[in-house]
Parts: sequence; structure tokens; C-alpha cells
Amino acid sequence: MALTFLRGIQLNPSMLYPSSYFARKHGVLYCCMRNAQTQTATQEKEQTKLKVSTQSQPKAVDKFLKDFEAVIGIETHVQLSTLTKAFCSCPYNYGSPPNTSVCPVCMGLPGALPVLNSKVIECAVRVGLALNCKLSLNSKFDRKQYFYPDLPKGYQISQFDVPIASGGYLDVDLPLEYGGGHRKFGITRVHMEEDAGKLLHTDGGSYSQERAPSHLNIHASHCNVMAIDVDLNRAGVPLLEIVSEPDMRTGIEAAEYAAELQRLVRYLGVGNGNMQEGSLRCDVNISVRPIGQLEFGTKVEIKNLNSFSSMSRAIDYEISRQVELHNQGQIDQIVQETRLWEEGAQKTVTMRKKEGLADYRYFPEPDLPGVTLTEEYVDSIRESLPELPEDKRRRYEKMGLSMQDVLFLANDINIADFFDTTTAGGADIKLAANWIMGDIAAYMKNEKVTINEIKLTPQELGELIASIKDETISGKIGKEILFELIAKGGTVKGLIKEKDLVQIVDTAEIEKMVDKVIADSPKQLEQYRGGKTKLQGYFAGQRLATDEESILTGDNLDITNKWKHLIRAFRSFADHQN
Amino acid sequence: MGSISALHYLKPTRTANGTSLFNFSKNRISQLPVAFRSYTVKSSVLETPDVPRLAETARISLNSQEIEEFAPKIRQVIDWFGQLQAVDLQSIEPAIRADTEGDNLRGDVPEKFENREELISAVPSFENPYIKVPKVLNKE
Repeated sequence: MALTFLRGIQLNPSMLYPSSYFARKHGVLYCCMRNAQTQTATQEKEQTKLKVSTQSQPKAVDKFLKDFEAVIGIETHVQLSTLTKAFCSCPYNYGSPPNTSVCPVCMGLPGALPVLNSKVIECAVRVGLALNCKLSLNSKFDRKQYFYPDLPKGYQISQFDVPIASGGYLDVDLPLEYGGGHRKFGITRVHMEEDAGKLLHTDGGSYSQERAPSHLNIHASHCNVMAIDVDLNRAGVPLLEIVSEPDMRTGIEAAEYAAELQRLVRYLGVGNGNMQEGSLRCDVNISVRPIGQLEFGTKVEIKNLNSFSSMSRAIDYEISRQVELHNQGQIDQIVQETRLWEEGAQKTVTMRKKEGLADYRYFPEPDLPGVTLTEEYVDSIRESLPELPEDKRRRYEKMGLSMQDVLFLANDINIADFFDTTTAGGADIKLAANWIMGDIAAYMKNEKVTINEIKLTPQELGELIASIKDETISGKIGKEILFELIAKGGTVKGLIKEKDLVQIVDTAEIEKMVDKVIADSPKQLEQYRGGKTKLQGYFAGQRLATDEESILTGDNLDITNKWKHLIRAFRSFADHQN
Repeated sequence: MGSISALHYLKPTRTANGTSLFNFSKNRISQLPVAFRSYTVKSSVLETPDVPRLAETARISLNSQEIEEFAPKIRQVIDWFGQLQAVDLQSIEPAIRADTEGDNLRGDVPEKFENREELISAVPSFENPYIKVPKVLNKE
């Protein structure tokens, strides 16, 4: 049914334009969303195709989009990187063989009782504080009843009316590629809950209309089609659900909000924030309204967004879909529903229509006591918070770095740490930034390694920068040493010595060399004095030719540099002779 | 596009044959926050239990005879709880939990459950390495 509907859209030529309007920009997006996955061939094809229509279409939809405003709110699930699950001691490791990390608690067996992992509270408080939230010193867990095989208890332990943190905000710097700018997005709430198991829909066979019996009675005899594989390793793994205010207006803002959350959980060390593994999952609520209208339009939820760029593209697609329906006078076609982003087709399709809100019959979880935080506990966690991405960016800005440098360095906690350690040792700030963002970043990209995996230490980078600055070595030699240090390790001093890379700055030695050259070439010296200054080159060459052995030691000599020194030394010598 | 309006026509049918489980939920959910947050409100009358609905949410099938049999019993339980409604809470600060000694937390120390074999052997349908279940519609 959804497919028929979308086919209708495709045939409508004016509909192609809004998608392409947004698609055009996405080539750039890959640069700014540094963690985005690589672009697939399909997408590329899609974009090329759409670009063609861009050129042939009038600016009409541009105008339509200007008359409307999108209202976007995001629900994010952050999987916590605790060693054990939320309510039992089962270890959790992504990618473990299915159903190996299970126990009576996370399998929902009768009589098994949950006991909360203290680390979950700690993570929640860290995130709550980092998001500038008000913490509830007394909160509790509630049961959210829903019936589905991914949670065998028949309910999810969550927090309902008293979340552990609420009423905060998140500061975001938009990528420069989109004009930059600073935004503050409201955070409605942060609450703790447990993850569900994984369901794998194995075949395309017919499904049974018969409702599954209670989880304790799941049995083949009730249903002759057994079509779902269940892996309960993930059941009971702790999550934080972070709900934003509906403060975002564009796909870029939404994607950057999510990227900032990812940065935050990584900085805080509460989760790995990996979208591909599902450790960071974003569901987007989006509605469109004519500018000036106060009430929100009908909201649509989009799921299946597993990268920042797909998030941005899905939202922009959805905005144009809804605006188009407005313009065609078909507002009633915008219904409250959940849509799935299809990466291949680059569009959203209906997953299910909401027929009223689900009835979760929340009530306080009787198997768990309340969650009490003391002021002292909260204070101790506040004091243990690391410098957060926003603070880091503002600090880098004050250090005089450009916004582009600031965003790059602060994007990845490990790179930021590397930079901070390098500059803490006294290295020049701008030079350190340049080396990291230039040659080091290029190496990491080519070799697909992280900054923690390279052999170069921040101390040696500092040493390298200092050695170039005091002219012990040239910039070119510095680069060669750098790659050696990155790949094999070692020290700058050691490499310089080992390869005899020191620039000849001992003028006495040079003068001695030059003396010899001059003594060997009295004729040329006469000509030089007569004004043939080009003979500098001759003398230098002469020097190199006659005494190659003693000077050209080592394989990686910076010959140009020696030339320069020789010429400089010769000139001063010759002038002096004059 | 026509197919979407067609869906609207389908709705009553789906409700009638019980495939759609939660059409009644709209009223329910709006009541919930009120029930949780207004601790001092005294409601004099509790809802009469709707046994077929209760059975449905509990995933239990009851025949009409059982429904008739259960209705007064459940009513009795609810009335019993209903006595609590008479307590005057006007001057009482709401407590979110009725407990207890301490938080009863545990450290984040992994411990593998030893008797996994028995757990797995109790699964009605297990095809290594997965638990097999019927495909179910209506996640919520």
C-alpha cells in the first residue's frame, strides 16, 4: 500500500525536485559528519539522477519550502558500555554468539528478581549533568507492558513519570559547510531503561494471524509458522533514553544534535555511541506547519536511521514530502504513523499507522526499590566530569584556533586528547593543529587507524615541532621523520641522530668547505667578483661534487637544504672577501 | 493514495475482529499521568473491570462462561483496593515508592550464569543458536 502511494509521488514531476533540492547538498555532508559511513554506489547514482532534474525544474519548491517550517524532535537510545546488564550480572559483549549471555533474570523466568547495576545510575547522572539537566534525587522504575518476543518478561523496566533527569539543553556548533552557527537544543528528559533482545526475521514465508500466547506458553503447537529467531543477549542491557524538545528545524540541525550526543557519550565514557552496532539509535519525530502557525502539524516518526547522513537525508525527504502534501491540499494524507528510512531508495515508507496511542499500562516496578541520589553523590560525579565537547570547543576558540580547526579537533575525544597533550608540553598551538589535521589525519584515513593506534606520541610530535622551529631540521625532513614516527615509533632525537639529518648550521665547518672550493676554483672566483653571481650555483655544486663522500651520508639527505646553506655561506664569505 | 483512505475504512473491521489490540488505549493513556501525579485526588468510584479487555491485555483467552465467573471476583479485589481511596491524603507529601532499606544496588561485575544448559533446555522451541517464536503482528 505504501509502495503504491510512493509510486504516485515519483510520477509527479514536481515531487522530484524537493528531494533533489536536498540531495544536492549531501556530497558535502560526508565531509562534516566524520563518522558517517562511506557513500554507497546506489546513493551516488541516485544523486546524479536527481541532479539532472534539478536543472530542469523551476524554483517553485524552493518557495514552498520557505513558506513552511519543520518541527523536529529526537528520541535517542544510548546503550551504556557497562560490563554487565542493567538488572543481572550477565556480561554483555556485542557480537557474542546468540543466547550465550543469558540468565533467569534477563530471560524473564518466574521468580527471578532484578538487582540494579550501580554503574547505570552513575552513567545516567553523568549524562544528566552533562546535558545541564535537573536531577531527580528520588526516582523510580516503572513497568512498561508490551507483548513481544524481544522482551520475554512481557514488560520493559523503564522510567515513566519521574525520569532521573529532565529539563536540560545541549549546545551544538553547526558544520561550517552549512554556514556554521551555534544552536541550543532543549532536552526534555533522560531516563534509564533496559534494551530488548534481537529479533531476526528469517524467511519471507507466510505469517500467522494468530496472536502469540503469553510468553510462558510460546509453543509450536499454538502456531504452526515459526518465523522469528530470537537472540536474548541484548535483553536487559542498560539504555538511556534521551528525549529532545522539538527544537530542530532542519535535517542538518537534527544530524548535528545526534552527532553532539554521540560526542558527549564518548567524552563521558558511558557508551561507544556506535550507530552501526545500534549503540546509538535515533528516532525522529517530524511535522511541518506553515510559517506563523502556532500549533504543530501531524507528526510522523522515522525509524531505521543508522548514520548521521541518513538521518539528515531522511528528514529532508520527509519535510519535502509533507510540504508537497500541504501544497497539493492533501494535508489529510499526513497521518500519524511510523515510517522507515530506506537507504537504497532514499525515501521513507510507511511501517505502521498509529491507531491511538499504545496502552503500556505503566505502574511502579514492584521488584525494585526507588532510586535515591544524595547531593554528595551528585557533586562527586559533577567533579569527576571531563571537559565536555562544548567547553573544549570554546577553549580551543579562545586559544586562537580557527572554527574549522576547533570542530575537527574537538570532534573526536582521542584526537582532542592527543592535541591537548601535545600543546601541554609547550608545542606551538597552530603548528600542532596543522600537523594533526594534515599529515597525521591523512595517514589515519589512508591506513584506517585511529590516533590511538599510531606509534607517534604527543610528546614526540611536540619534539618534532620544536626541532623544526629551532631549525635543527627542516620542515621537509620533519615530514619524513613524522611518517617514520607514525609507522614505527621512536624518538625525534634518535631518528635525527641515526640518520644524520641535522642541518649544517656550524658556519666554521661550512667556511672550511667553502675555502676548499674556492681554493680549487680561482678562475670562477674572479668571475664571481666580476659580477657573475650565478656562479654561486657552481660553487655549491662544486662543493657537493668534490666532497660528496664526506657530506652525503645517510639516505634521506635534504640536499636542497644543504645547497641553500652552502650558497648562503658562500655568499657571505665572498662578500666578505670583497 | 486511494489506498490510504481505504485503510481508514478498514479500521472498524480490524477493531471488530480483534486484530487491532489497542484501540481503547487512547482514553487509558490520558488517564495515566493524572492517576500518577495527583496523589491527593480522591476518586470515589473505581472503574468497573472490563474482563474481556483485561484478558486481552494479559494474552489470556477466556470463554464467556469464564468471563462471567471472573468478573465478580475481580470486582471484589478492586473494591478491596478501593478502600484505600477513602484515606485522606490532603496533607501528606507523596512518596514515589513505599520502601525500604537502601537502594540494594550491585557492582558492575560480570558473572556468567552457570546453568545455561538448563535454561535453554526449558525453551519450548530452540534451534541452535536461536529461540524460535511465531511471527507476531502488532508490536505495541
